[in-house]
Amino acid sequence: MLYVKNLQKSYSIGKKSYPVLKGVDLSVAKGEFVAVMGPSGSGKSTLLNCISCYIPFEDGKITLGGQELKGMNENQLAKIRNEKLGFVFQDFMLLDGLTIRENILVPRIIQGNVSHDAEELADRLIDLFGISHIRGKYPAEVSGGERQRTAVARSLINQPLIILADEPTGNLDSKSSRTVIEAFENARSQMDATIFMVTHDSFSASFCDRVVLLKDGTVYRQLEKNGRRSAFHDLLLDAIKEMSGDES
Amino acid sequence: MMTMKDLENKLQKASRKQAALYLLCNFVSLMLITAYAAILFSPTILNVLPEGGDSRKQLYAIFVMALFGCVIFTIYAASLFFRKKSRQLGILMALGASKKRLAPGLFREVALLSGVSSLAGIAAGIPFVLLLWKLFRLFIVDTGEMALVINFKCLFVSAAFYLLVSACACIMAYQYLRKTNILDVVQEEHKNEPVKELGRWCGPLGIVLIFAGAVAGYYSGSLYMKFLQAYPPAWLNITYAPVFIGLYLVMIHTVIHGWVSHKKKPYKNIISRSMMKFQGKQTVNSLIVSTVLIAGGCFAIFYVPVLATGQMVNINNNEYDYAYYYRADQEVPQKQEVTELAGTYGVSLKDWQDCPYITLGMDGYEEIQGENDSFHVEYSPLVGGGDFLSESSYRKMTGQDITVPPKSYYAVTGVESSYNLFTNSNATKLTNMITRETIDVEFKDYLHFNLMTGNKNFYVLNDQDYEKISKNLTPVWNGSLVYFNVDGKDSYDFADTFFHTFVDSFGPECEYPRYYDPVRKIAEEEKGLIYWGDTDQMTPVSYEETDSSDFRLYWAYMPQFRILDRNDFMTTFSVYLMAFIFVALICFAAAIVIGYTRCQAIALNNRYVFDDLKRLGGPPAFLSTEVRRQCLIVFRIPAVTGMTLMTLVYMLLLYANDNRLSSGELYSLLICLGVLAVIAVILFFIYRYTVHRVESDLGINKTNS
Repeated sequence: MLYVKNLQKSYSIGKKSYPVLKGVDLSVAKGEFVAVMGPSGSGKSTLLNCISCYIPFEDGKITLGGQELKGMNENQLAKIRNEKLGFVFQDFMLLDGLTIRENILVPRIIQGNVSHDAEELADRLIDLFGISHIRGKYPAEVSGGERQRTAVARSLINQPLIILADEPTGNLDSKSSRTVIEAFENARSQMDATIFMVTHDSFSASFCDRVVLLKDGTVYRQLEKNGRRSAFHDLLLDAIKEMSGDES
Repeated sequence: MMTMKDLENKLQKASRKQAALYLLCNFVSLMLITAYAAILFSPTILNVLPEGGDSRKQLYAIFVMALFGCVIFTIYAASLFFRKKSRQLGILMALGASKKRLAPGLFREVALLSGVSSLAGIAAGIPFVLLLWKLFRLFIVDTGEMALVINFKCLFVSAAFYLLVSACACIMAYQYLRKTNILDVVQEEHKNEPVKELGRWCGPLGIVLIFAGAVAGYYSGSLYMKFLQAYPPAWLNITYAPVFIGLYLVMIHTVIHGWVSHKKKPYKNIISRSMMKFQGKQTVNSLIVSTVLIAGGCFAIFYVPVLATGQMVNINNNEYDYAYYYRADQEVPQKQEVTELAGTYGVSLKDWQDCPYITLGMDGYEEIQGENDSFHVEYSPLVGGGDFLSESSYRKMTGQDITVPPKSYYAVTGVESSYNLFTNSNATKLTNMITRETIDVEFKDYLHFNLMTGNKNFYVLNDQDYEKISKNLTPVWNGSLVYFNVDGKDSYDFADTFFHTFVDSFGPECEYPRYYDPVRKIAEEEKGLIYWGDTDQMTPVSYEETDSSDFRLYWAYMPQFRILDRNDFMTTFSVYLMAFIFVALICFAAAIVIGYTRCQAIALNNRYVFDDLKRLGGPPAFLSTEVRRQCLIVFRIPAVTGMTLMTLVYMLLLYANDNRLSSGELYSLLICLGVLAVIAVILFFIYRYTVHRVESDLGINKTNS
């Protein structure tokens, strides 16, 4: 589904260049729920932004559903973002002037294809994520967890190949975080969604099938869940501890 | 079913608050520019303000400043709008909207916003100027010549301004769309704009540059003429550029370092200083524009007290209550008739003095204009005319005991003046314009008598020379000078009736302004040229409009009656005064809108800082203090800088008139300071209101503290 090969990206400040991704290799299979974890500055968000085509990268290859993203023009990239990718952001990125239902439909509106089917799907997603009571409300009138579930629903409206989530629980309390993770699980189970999530939160990551640990711009280690979530959480904590220990 | 257009419309509706600031700025600037242009193009103003005169040049100069200010703050308001708009754009881009897809909606919105606000501003500009002018006429002064005629050509200026600001807004919209990095677009709202940091030297250097630029700009014209023998071109005004560079440096110093050392208490005001510093670019820009506008407003408003005080001091310093002169071929009322007329108004006269004077040709050097604004100085035996008294007549009229040596002459200037720019102090030969007989003379010095300078500038000759050169002069070249006082209380009605009787007694041969020179006319015609005073270039005066500014200010035989001049001052100068008051109001209004907008921007841009401060336990009183500090800089710095600069410029201008400050000039400067105090109080109240609005926008509720 998603292949990232030898991805390299650096930022320039003045005349100095700071490499952030130093050859990242990873892949995500269809229907997989994958998390990327790592300390601050490890390149997690940069990796996600490169896959999202929000920022250009210098070297490497990103292939999504068999299509290579590098070299595409603006219009092609916009089409990919709209049709093949779904996005969930840390600060929700909902449009304040639209109702919850309208926000969910935004990718379809951009596509110019708000069919009856799309509206039905939106209503289904609303029900699926437990936000039917707020469908007519505006983002400012609902809680953080509800906003994020709206964002998850929005990311699914075009039935994308993959959902890219950037710290989706970063601004939420534990209860709301749990509802958002449940929303992802529902999306996977009910809609066969593939999810690629960047997170700091090992608890949220423990719900994933696989966790990619990133350190200093390279993949440090990949952990797979084989069994109970709590055991996977413990494994994750140990791996993070080990990674931090390497640092010290 | 919702379409992209519906979505955009809905989002536009939701972002009305962001758009409101842009709409307001655009509306206000278009209204002010239209109103200003209406005044500048109005025949009412153009007919009164002499072409090429200082007053008109000053109005144009301030207009350019106001235009510059309005362009800057409209663009600034547009940039604020796009900063807020960028989040919407960024989200839509992130969700897959291509720039191509977003462009039509964005440009439509920009066109709609700027179009509607500009049209409303233009439409409001004309009623605004008519209303304000009407209020002037109602509450300040009303004369026939104040009837405001609008030349709708002024709308071309508004249209050009509208096109300019719309083009700028579209370019800005295009730039936001062009950004390839979506994250930049999304985060645009939270971006800082730190100004390039310069050392602590920049403030003092700025002050030096401001003074250097002012002096360079002021003297560059005369130096250019002196060394290049050519009239200074418009581009020479670039010598004023250091003033603006200096102003920029001063503002940077103010924003980055402040003028108070923080070494002892480095944490004092650290939050407000850092907020100001990291929005530096915007802050410095708006501070400069506000400063320029406040300086322009002060320049305009100072005109009123300086003119009024100057005139009033002159009137009060006149040695006699009544003074007039006339050509010998005119049949004006004589002493008995004047006394009888005064008697009908219960006025009795005393100290009657009269004497003859003659008009002679004077030689000297004149500037002959060549090609490309160059000129050369050429000797002319008849460079212009001069009105001469004999020394005994001068003694009689003034009571001053003077002796004029043979073959010499004196020029008369005011009691407080050291020289008279409008007299010829280089003549070596005086010519009888009938016999063409000449006498050689040399300039001796200045005599001082207020009533013999101003409207007509007199010279004094030795009695024998006067006798000799005046032989065979016809009545056209002879005249009489009359002074008298009133015994007891004067009557305005008498003065007014006498003035109109006096004017009515003149024939059409004297219906010309005081800068019309009969000697020069003969000299030009003898060379086969047409005297410029006989062309359309000269603004005529008319006996039909004896109460108009033009007639009262420029008629060659305008008498000086103290009570009439004092009472009619406002009506005589009504158009001048109102035009400058109007311009000042426009400049101050623009500066106030900029200050208010900037403070609103501070609230918008720093909302997150204030939220964080709240979370960190900052009580409302603390937050309120931070808001006040921000707003205070926005209002105080331009007010203090603009007012100080213009006061210094005015002092320099008044000093440069005759290298000294007369008591009248000092008095007028004191009144200017009073005017500044009033403006400062008004600005303070607007600052308070702005602080209140910003606090309310940021949700700072002091009553809960």
